[in-house]
Amino acid sequence: MSDTGSSHFSHTGHFSQAGHSGHTGSGATDRAATDRTTADHAATVQPAPLFGPGSQFHRLFNDPRWALGIVRATVLEAAHPQVGAALTDNSTFVAHPWRRLRNTLVSLQRMFGADDHVRQREAARLNRLHERLSGTDAQNRPYDAMDPQVRAWVVATLFESAVTMYRLSGQPLEQSAMEQLYTEFQAFLAALGVEDGHLPPTLKEFWQYYDHTVETELENTEALRIILYKLFDHLPAPPLLSGLPTVWAAGRALAGPVIGTVTVASLPEPFRRRAGLPEVPGAQTLMQSAYVAAGLARYLPEGWIETEALTDLLYLSPDSDDPRAATIAALHGRMKRAGALFRLVTPFPVQPDPAPGSERQRSAEEFFDAVLDQTGDGHLDWPDLAAMARELSSRLDLDEPEETRLYNAYAEWWKELQSALDTDGDGRVSKEEYAAAVPSLAGPALIRVAEVLFEATDKNGDQQIDADEYRTLFRTAFHRTLTGTDETYSRSAFVKDFLSFMSGRRHSTAYDPLLAQA
Amino acid sequence: MIDVIEAARTAGVEWLSLYAFSTENWQRPGNEVDFLMRLVRRVVRKHAPLLYARGIRCRFLGVADPRIPPALAQDFADLMTLTSTNRRMTLTVAFDHGGRRDIVEAARSLIRSGVPADAVDERHFAAHLPFPDTPDVDLVIRTSGEQRISNFMLWQVAYAEWIFPPVLWPDFRAPHFLECLHTYQQRSRRFGGVTPKANGEPHQ
Repeated sequence: MSDTGSSHFSHTGHFSQAGHSGHTGSGATDRAATDRTTADHAATVQPAPLFGPGSQFHRLFNDPRWALGIVRATVLEAAHPQVGAALTDNSTFVAHPWRRLRNTLVSLQRMFGADDHVRQREAARLNRLHERLSGTDAQNRPYDAMDPQVRAWVVATLFESAVTMYRLSGQPLEQSAMEQLYTEFQAFLAALGVEDGHLPPTLKEFWQYYDHTVETELENTEALRIILYKLFDHLPAPPLLSGLPTVWAAGRALAGPVIGTVTVASLPEPFRRRAGLPEVPGAQTLMQSAYVAAGLARYLPEGWIETEALTDLLYLSPDSDDPRAATIAALHGRMKRAGALFRLVTPFPVQPDPAPGSERQRSAEEFFDAVLDQTGDGHLDWPDLAAMARELSSRLDLDEPEETRLYNAYAEWWKELQSALDTDGDGRVSKEEYAAAVPSLAGPALIRVAEVLFEATDKNGDQQIDADEYRTLFRTAFHRTLTGTDETYSRSAFVKDFLSFMSGRRHSTAYDPLLAQA
Repeated sequence: MIDVIEAARTAGVEWLSLYAFSTENWQRPGNEVDFLMRLVRRVVRKHAPLLYARGIRCRFLGVADPRIPPALAQDFADLMTLTSTNRRMTLTVAFDHGGRRDIVEAARSLIRSGVPADAVDERHFAAHLPFPDTPDVDLVIRTSGEQRISNFMLWQVAYAEWIFPPVLWPDFRAPHFLECLHTYQQRSRRFGGVTPKANGEPHQ
């Protein structure tokens, strides 16, 4: 589920392109603009479009409260035993939360845009992705990310959290707006290919369904505890702030518990009781203040908070050569200098001695944490490698059958790793097992992964990766990483670089942002 | 030390280099070296904000030996990062520096770049030295009454003027520095009568 799961993040993402009619109050001109847009997309229903500009979703975009609502929705999803198990097993949100958020935002942009073709293609991709996510939880109960009941619940938490978000900040939705929003969420579920009947037909029945699920199905799952008590306390700095680890850690130490407390206080009371979540004195007041305060951000000048702009910030690593990255790079330079000053002026003991030795190669343990253990559970197993395949497929925007070829190559590599490294035979590879047997990593199956990746990247099949193809995978032009002035990247050079990253644990300006960045 | 840096900056000096520790200084007794390392670290941390605020770009020449404590190396790196965009004055601290080693490094780098032997001239060679933007040195002040080069920036001091004040380095203050500058201004520089270059003009 992981992708739809947190996908919710993104309702905001999309709509920013469309303008701000929800906030500016200049209704007449905006309406005219919207009508023109709608005319361009004849498919959109005229009076109340379900997707794209003019929908109720539109009111959510760029609303800072929505961030709180999304965290809440994610917690409610994770409390569902099947969703929780899928998240715990497969999701990369602990180790790579920012990358995960970016992917989610893009996915929702596509799902809620005005373009039907893009939506269908994205739905097909999401479905393929979720088909690969099934298994059994710790109590041996099966889970399946394609289960329509499960997917309906995910959409339900989003809808309910949007409604609750408006209610908690003192501006409840009118009945008609609420019904329209519900219709849109039903359409979202339908666009994913889930047949009717899993979300109740009317809003009145929805509340019964929702209350019933909260009271009978939700549990205090491991995923729930991870989100509430681990994720925010250990959230790594986003790429842009990576120069300031100490400042980030200090801010997080304050904000982490607050976000957790606010989220718990906003959950339905029956569930808090049953899951044994703590009642902290003053938490209700804190929670409502947070929603109201976030709501006030609406009055900031237009353009100060734009989800689209934030998504871009998440996308760009400062090393990218995107023209927009110049600003980011300048900002990153300032951040680095601020970090350096901070370290220089803090008293001696705060500063840990940096590890002596070479900069270019990391230790086996570092590499394990940064690259191999994608799900951040301390072990290397199939979901970690599947997450890499998932990330590469999304970057390359692969269709079938290339996507399956890539997954299969990774599956073969997993078999190779398992037989070579899993010395205690528990089905997964621990950090110690990996560190003890590092050299055997570069077997034939890993080379096969490199070759399949090369072929998938080489879209036009001319056995060379040209600048455009390279940019699709790494989001940067290649003169920065390749020596010499060659215009293209050959198969053997590609395979060699991939191996030196994966097995030689070399730092790489190309692969680090792709697989190691938070 | 900060006193001298301030005096130089105020007097309009744009390039100032200090010789803190030579590659040969490692031969000193271990506890003396340890003390020096701690001292340098304290000085760097103490003055970092001031150097930054004064628009001084700091960099460290040498700093290659693995015996340098990692924490100190981190401080050096931080100070360089912090002040990297400053341009009012460039302060080069030669630490674990050796003039001959720099020249050897330049030769290695030149050979690796595959330049044909006939194409190598002085300008070309200098471009392979560490911090190749460093101009020729105009004035070297050797304190403590010692009168030797001690392997200091050998390439760059080719036509430098030399002054040897008897005062010990720990006692060397702004007035001493200004006195040296004044002496320097009285000197007539002919560069061997070859090129009447202006003071501080870089190699290129």
